[in-house]
Amino acid sequence: MELLRRTFIAKGALDETGNGGLVAVSRLTPGTNILAYCVGLGWSLHRWPGALVSLAASSLPASTIVCALAAALVRIHASPVVTVILAAAVLVATLLVFSSAAALLRPYANRRSALRASIVALFCGALLVADVTPVRILLLSAALGACIGGASRSPDVE
Amino acid sequence: MTPPVVYLLLVKALATSFAGLGSLPQIQHDFVETSGAITSEQLSQAVLVGRSTPGPVGAYVVAVGYMAAGWPGAIAAWLAMMTPALAAVPLFVLMQRWLHLARVRAAVDAVVIASAILLLASGFRMAAEAWQQLSVVLRP
Repeated sequence: MELLRRTFIAKGALDETGNGGLVAVSRLTPGTNILAYCVGLGWSLHRWPGALVSLAASSLPASTIVCALAAALVRIHASPVVTVILAAAVLVATLLVFSSAAALLRPYANRRSALRASIVALFCGALLVADVTPVRILLLSAALGACIGGASRSPDVE
Repeated sequence: MTPPVVYLLLVKALATSFAGLGSLPQIQHDFVETSGAITSEQLSQAVLVGRSTPGPVGAYVVAVGYMAAGWPGAIAAWLAMMTPALAAVPLFVLMQRWLHLARVRAAVDAVVIASAILLLASGFRMAAEAWQQLSVVLRP
C-alpha cells in the first residue's frame, strides 16, 4: 500500500488527502484491505474500468502463485519429513495469525477506547465459548458496539 | 464440494471479515467443521502458502478453494476474493454520508475487535493441531 501511495503520488495521480480516504475505505471494506485500496484507486482514476483492471492486476499474480504452491503441496505432503517441516512451519505461521490479531486490536489499546473494546472482546469470547458461529458473533458484536458506543476511534480512519 | 458452493461460502467468510486472515474462523467453520471439504491440516497449509507468497494475505483462500474443489475451486475462490473488494466503490459514497455518525463508527469498531478475537481463537486451534501433529510424527 505504501509503495502504491508513493508511486501514484510521484506520478501526480494521487494526493495525501485522497490516499487517506482510500486507506479509510479499504479498512472499512470487508475482505482483503489491499484489494479494496486498489479498487478505490482504480475507481478514482478511471471509474469502473479502472477499478476492475486494478482488482484483477492486484489479485491475479498472487492467486496464481498460491494455487501453484497449493497444488505442489498436495502432491508432496504424504512424506513424514515434509509433514514435520509443514507442522513446524504452521506453528511459525500461527505467530503471524496472532500478530494480525494484535494489529487489529492495537488502535483500541488506549484509555479512550479500552473499556468499550474490552466489553466487546469479553462479549465475543462468551459467544465463542457458547459455540455461536463467527458470522453471528460479528453481527451481534456490531449490534453491541452500536448500542454501547459512540466515541471510540476507528483504526486508520483519520 | 462444487465451485459455486466454494464461491458462496468464501464470499460469506470474506464479506464478514476486515483483515487478510479475518475470514479464517468462518472458513474453518464452513470448510472443516461443517462440510468436511478440507481437513484442518489442509487449512493450515493453505494459510502457510498464503503467508509465504507475495501479494495479499487473503490470497490463502485460493489455496482453500483448490484443496476443496481443484482448479475450478481455485478460480471460484479467486472470484470470491475479489467480490467484497468491489464494495469499496459504494463505501466511498457511504463513508462521506454516514461515517461521522458515532453509532455507525462504533459498530464498525466492534466488528473489527470481534474479528481479532475470532482470529486469536483460530490461531490457538491451528497451533494446537500443528503441535499435536508434530508430537505424533516425532514420537519414538
